[in-house]
Amino acid sequence: MRSSRRAWTCAALAEATAVRVLPFGDDALLIELDTVVSVRAARRARLLAAAVERLRLTRPELGVPVAGAASVLVPFAPLLLEQPGHGGLERIADLAVDLAALADDLPADPQPERDAACVEIPTRFGGDAGPDLDTVAAETGLTAAAVVDLLAAAELEVLFLGFAPGFAYLGELPGELIVPRLAVPRTRVPAGTMAIAGRFAGIYPQTSAGGWRLLGRTEVTLFNPTSGPPVLLRPGDRVRLVPR
Amino acid sequence: MTASQLAANPADVFEVIEPGLQTTVQDIGRTGLGAMGLGPGGAADPWALAVANVLVGNAADSAAIEITLLGPALRVLRAVTVGLAGADLGAVVEPGGRRIGPGTSARLAAGDVLRFGGADDGSGPNGTGDAHGGHATGLAGFRAYLAIAGGVDVPLVLGSRSTALGAGFGGLNGRALRTGDRLAGGASPNPTPAPRVWTTRTRAIPSALRSGLGEHPPAAILRIAAGPWAERARAGLASLADQAWTISLTSNRVGLRLDGDPLPGEFPADLPSHGLVTGAIQVPPAGQPLILLPDRQPTGGYAVISVVITADRPLLGQLAPGDRVAFTLTSRDEAAVALRQQHAEFEAALASIGRQP
Repeated sequence: MRSSRRAWTCAALAEATAVRVLPFGDDALLIELDTVVSVRAARRARLLAAAVERLRLTRPELGVPVAGAASVLVPFAPLLLEQPGHGGLERIADLAVDLAALADDLPADPQPERDAACVEIPTRFGGDAGPDLDTVAAETGLTAAAVVDLLAAAELEVLFLGFAPGFAYLGELPGELIVPRLAVPRTRVPAGTMAIAGRFAGIYPQTSAGGWRLLGRTEVTLFNPTSGPPVLLRPGDRVRLVPR
Repeated sequence: MTASQLAANPADVFEVIEPGLQTTVQDIGRTGLGAMGLGPGGAADPWALAVANVLVGNAADSAAIEITLLGPALRVLRAVTVGLAGADLGAVVEPGGRRIGPGTSARLAAGDVLRFGGADDGSGPNGTGDAHGGHATGLAGFRAYLAIAGGVDVPLVLGSRSTALGAGFGGLNGRALRTGDRLAGGASPNPTPAPRVWTTRTRAIPSALRSGLGEHPPAAILRIAAGPWAERARAGLASLADQAWTISLTSNRVGLRLDGDPLPGEFPADLPSHGLVTGAIQVPPAGQPLILLPDRQPTGGYAVISVVITADRPLLGQLAPGDRVAFTLTSRDEAAVALRQQHAEFEAALASIGRQP
């Protein structure tokens, strides 16, 4: 590990083994754990976000961390980070070194969360519910039935949430099912639509625009801001798609 | 059931006669909910939100009405003190035609109609160079904030009263205001504060930054700091700062699209999604940058080459389609100085209207 004084330049601010702490404007740092998506990287990101949450107990300048696919964004209050007698540059560099040290302490291959829920999602595949099922089958060289079988058999984990309230990035898909996003996104994807792109599967919580390949639909509510838990799926949860 | 179908509520302050282009209830938004997939939302210009609120004795982060370019007409249902800040969108009180300028508060009587007639061209009584409630820039402005003493009373959803237009919750029924809607006011400890004028001239772009930009300088110069992809996009970063950009017509509360020469370099479409901040400048593969606003997603997979500094982010909410903007790279220390100065000026202005910081 090393630190750098060049805190506001473009270079990484601190590095640990395969970890880089990158600048993100004047009020955040990005801890990059990996440059490719994997269940392992996402688990490490979630563990790291939890470690940053613990650090916040004694560091009031830190904001709520955001775990991504293979990174953690750490916002901070710039004016709280500065202290008398300290230049802002050194303080940022110190924070970057502390964050790199947290990342360095992560297990190489973490176990799944113990308190994770197992959620079954009844899904209708194909037809109007999944208009891209046949083209995905053609692109992957599988039959539509084989695509559905692979999805139903997949052990999917909620890697992180993003895109829209309640939208869970589920991964990783089996290699046979990896297809690119649409070149031109659809302007309207109905709520409850189950879709895939790259290494991810996901379900659109609200009707919205979307560029993923639409394979099926579910009736379950993924986001409800006004009653009960706001989101059905939380980071770390295990998900099984059950064909109906 | 919509608000207009409810029986008359004595707390109701306004009835919407004309809704305007996009009029929503906004407070400071929902922070820290990225793990649920939520971006922050909230006022596009939080500075102007704060000014409007403190003018009527509210906490700076209270819920107010965000008005976009073409404002609404609102019938006043009960006497109320309002505060106005942000862009001058031509607010007049009918009957009588009394003007209300940004940076002021005013008492409205039951039966009055508060009508926003359109953006001021600068020649009116409020074209004084400080017509933006503290936004002393070359901008005409795009959004005004109308606060009412006691705040706008809509349900608190996930810790905020802000309207989330994308997912359709918060604010008034999760959407922009419509004709016939009624808005209630919250209880105010001091429902009739004396009229105030906000006197600060903060947020001016330093004149040094305006030099060298030719005969037609851009409306705003945004100060930027390095983002995570900056190291891998040095040519793109230089090109971003080397030209004036035009805010695209396709911009909204999610982000500002920038029209200009595409940035040189390769920008991946599919990076592992990472957390974002408002003000982040993303560059999709085609090289046309976009600046994220509060209705952004919490994470994204486009390259972030730089980020508008915290002190300049409120200005993003005042950029209108067609406005020209430029960027200048700044250091962390300069960004901290700008932010500290902004905080100090806000507190001084609070003191000038008799409020404790």
